[in-house]
Amino acid sequence: MSVLELPSTREEAWRYADVAGIATAAALPRDATAIDPASLFLDLPGARILIRDGIVDESASDLGRVRLTHVAAAEHALGRRTAGPGWSLRLAEDAAADPVQVVHLATGGANHLASEIVLADDATATVVETYAGAGWSNRALSVKLGRAARLMRSVRFLQSAGFQSLREDAELGQGASLVTTFLGAGHAGSRIDAQLIAGEGTYTEYGGALLTADEQRQECAVRLRHAEPNGQSHQLWRAVAADRSAASLAAAVEVARHAQKTDGEQSLRGLLLHRTATVNLKPELEIFADDVKCAHGATVGELDARALFYMQSRGIPRAKAQALLTRAFVADALDRIGLDEVREAFVADADAWLERVL
Amino acid sequence: MATKNAEAYAAISKTYEWGFHSDIEQDFAPKGLSEDTVRYISAKKQEPEWMLEWRLKAFRLWQTMEAPDWSKLNVPPIDYQDAYYYAEPKAKPKLGSLDEVDPEILRVYEKLGIPIAEQKMLAGVEDLDDSGQPKRRVAVDAVFDSVSVATTFRKELEAAGVIFRSISEAIREYPDLVRKWLGKVVPQRDNYFATLNSAVFSDGTFVYIPEGVRCPMELSTYFRINAENTGQFERTLIVADKGSYVSYLEGCTAPMRDENQLHAAVVELVAMDDAEIKYSTVQNWYPGDENGVGGIYNFVTKRALCQGRNSKVSWTQVETGSAITWKYPSCVLAGEGSVGEFYSVAVTNNRQQADTGTKMIHLGKNTRSTIVSKGISAGRSDNTYRGLVRVAPTAEGVRNFTQCDSLLLSDQCGAHTVPYIEVRNPSAQIEHEATTSKISEDQMFYAQSRGLDAEAAVALIVNGFAREVLQQLPMEFAVEAQKLLGISLEGSVG
Repeated sequence: MSVLELPSTREEAWRYADVAGIATAAALPRDATAIDPASLFLDLPGARILIRDGIVDESASDLGRVRLTHVAAAEHALGRRTAGPGWSLRLAEDAAADPVQVVHLATGGANHLASEIVLADDATATVVETYAGAGWSNRALSVKLGRAARLMRSVRFLQSAGFQSLREDAELGQGASLVTTFLGAGHAGSRIDAQLIAGEGTYTEYGGALLTADEQRQECAVRLRHAEPNGQSHQLWRAVAADRSAASLAAAVEVARHAQKTDGEQSLRGLLLHRTATVNLKPELEIFADDVKCAHGATVGELDARALFYMQSRGIPRAKAQALLTRAFVADALDRIGLDEVREAFVADADAWLERVL
Repeated sequence: MATKNAEAYAAISKTYEWGFHSDIEQDFAPKGLSEDTVRYISAKKQEPEWMLEWRLKAFRLWQTMEAPDWSKLNVPPIDYQDAYYYAEPKAKPKLGSLDEVDPEILRVYEKLGIPIAEQKMLAGVEDLDDSGQPKRRVAVDAVFDSVSVATTFRKELEAAGVIFRSISEAIREYPDLVRKWLGKVVPQRDNYFATLNSAVFSDGTFVYIPEGVRCPMELSTYFRINAENTGQFERTLIVADKGSYVSYLEGCTAPMRDENQLHAAVVELVAMDDAEIKYSTVQNWYPGDENGVGGIYNFVTKRALCQGRNSKVSWTQVETGSAITWKYPSCVLAGEGSVGEFYSVAVTNNRQQADTGTKMIHLGKNTRSTIVSKGISAGRSDNTYRGLVRVAPTAEGVRNFTQCDSLLLSDQCGAHTVPYIEVRNPSAQIEHEATTSKISEDQMFYAQSRGLDAEAAVALIVNGFAREVLQQLPMEFAVEAQKLLGISLEGSVG
């Protein structure tokens, strides 16, 4: 195997990255998986794409409007490894597609895949992605939204071992809307690395919940740039860390010189379940325009002792009370998912995680 | 309130009024930086061998290091060989006798409003007791380029057991004490500029407050860069023994010159059990002109070690000067129940750049910290808050509150907030809030409808925005700082 060239954690953008974890994941031996991919698809109409070790399994997929094509790779330390054949969802003006489900099943080693979503003016799409299996799954996604186009995307990391890394580059045209929710509720490490460029009057929600246990390390490193006036953005992230794990949330809002009337909001909150766990937060504001409303809030701590006491005094056992409060903490981030089936599935995954850890 | 407005008015009509320079005969070290420069400085200071060795070790280390570039600053390359590392006034004062200080230097301090003569007080405060003596007295260590020219109120401080010396004197007179603590809070290899300082530091202040003593007056150091092409590298070390208290003020100015000058200081504070140190800075180095020509590069390492139980260190800073500021006064909260505070107002105008903030490292149980940072950007400047709150696994019951507010006064400037929160203990309660805004039209309209012109209205609103921090300053400095805010923002409206 060739030597992996990975970024150094001395670089600011990779400060909290688990670079060693990526190398370990890439070295996981290939092993047949017992997971039935059908169990990972939700009961939704529309396209179903199964990706085995970075290659689209056409026989097991229903491509719908998705095309398999060569996708240019992002200029990014991990993203550039994905160059080559990938999948593409392109919608014409006013088109509205049924939800597209993508399941990434890995069986060990490293696999890379590029993808793109290009929506013309007023087009609408919903994409649901699930990662499962073991190994290093490395993905790059390029998103281009035309005027008033809308993309709703939900991604869950459920791999049992290895590492899931995702690089996303998105450009939002005038009045476009992007709502993306992540859930990290597996056993593997992850890194969500995104660069979003928001145009005039755009609406962006970008956030999710990262749940870590054991030695796991998950992180997001998101940079949202308001390049034009009147944009609105919300970055809402929740991290729950148990055992010796570490969850890191780095979210930045950048407001360009003439992007007046921008309303940027960040809420980063961490919950530590054990004294050996770590939560790192880095809510960053970089503002060059003077007529903007930007605020961020960040908190870290344990469950509210008074709330726990109250619930116990009402006859709820301590463990159950902890689970309820933690569930509520995580639910904030998952509430943004629009489709009921998807939201329920994500909440169920989060519940399963809580069940296991608490 | 009436006086406040009058002061703001008066302030706005001025520019950098400390920009004069004085022709004073001075001795320089040969230009450039080499081991010989380090030896020259050490010899000039008649330092013991261990001190020279310490400096040389730092210098050799520095040669292997690279300048940091992670901050949001655009620092032009600095030619370390094109500067003087030591400049002292030729007429050297005899220790302890103020009369023998070069009258020219005394005039400089007079002009700056700094009371070298003991009967005088800081400008702006007129509060006399029955015998006509000022009620609040301030002992001053005046550092002129590379040497300390005078420290006042020695006798009275000595009676209380307080050691207040220039650091060069302290190295000679209290070598054991200095040797014990020098470089313990900021190690030699801490960072590029701290290492450089360790090699070539010229003067600064040493303060030791013995057990149980409440320092009878405010201590202060006034730094003045006068000579051209010199860098100032001062080193301050304050040790507060058990149960003691000291309030320390620091001020600085420099002449207006077209070249950039480097100021790389190191400040180390140590607080033992139940001790408290209050450290206030009004930083007013020459910021350069409106086109960004000239000005001081202020690359400073300040750190406090709260070693004892229930010790407390409070940093208050008003940063209005310097072309580029790179400064993060920090607290290492090691003692159980120790408290760290950081109150900061940073103003940037024209082409100034500031990257400043704090680090609160919680190591001990039940340690607490408060951070209040107010950034004000105007003109074409960039103002960054960068702060770290770290909670170690051993630190139970930590509490932190952070508030960072930014105010933008023009559409050509930038305001940035880069907080890092790293928590490894679940019992910690960490809160961080930040906002960015501009002065609202409602506020301006209201102030103007009451008869203030636009600039006075801005000065008033800015003072209100920064009030939480200004309140923390000792009175002498609060007046000064309020005026400075007005001056720094001059011409930034309309």
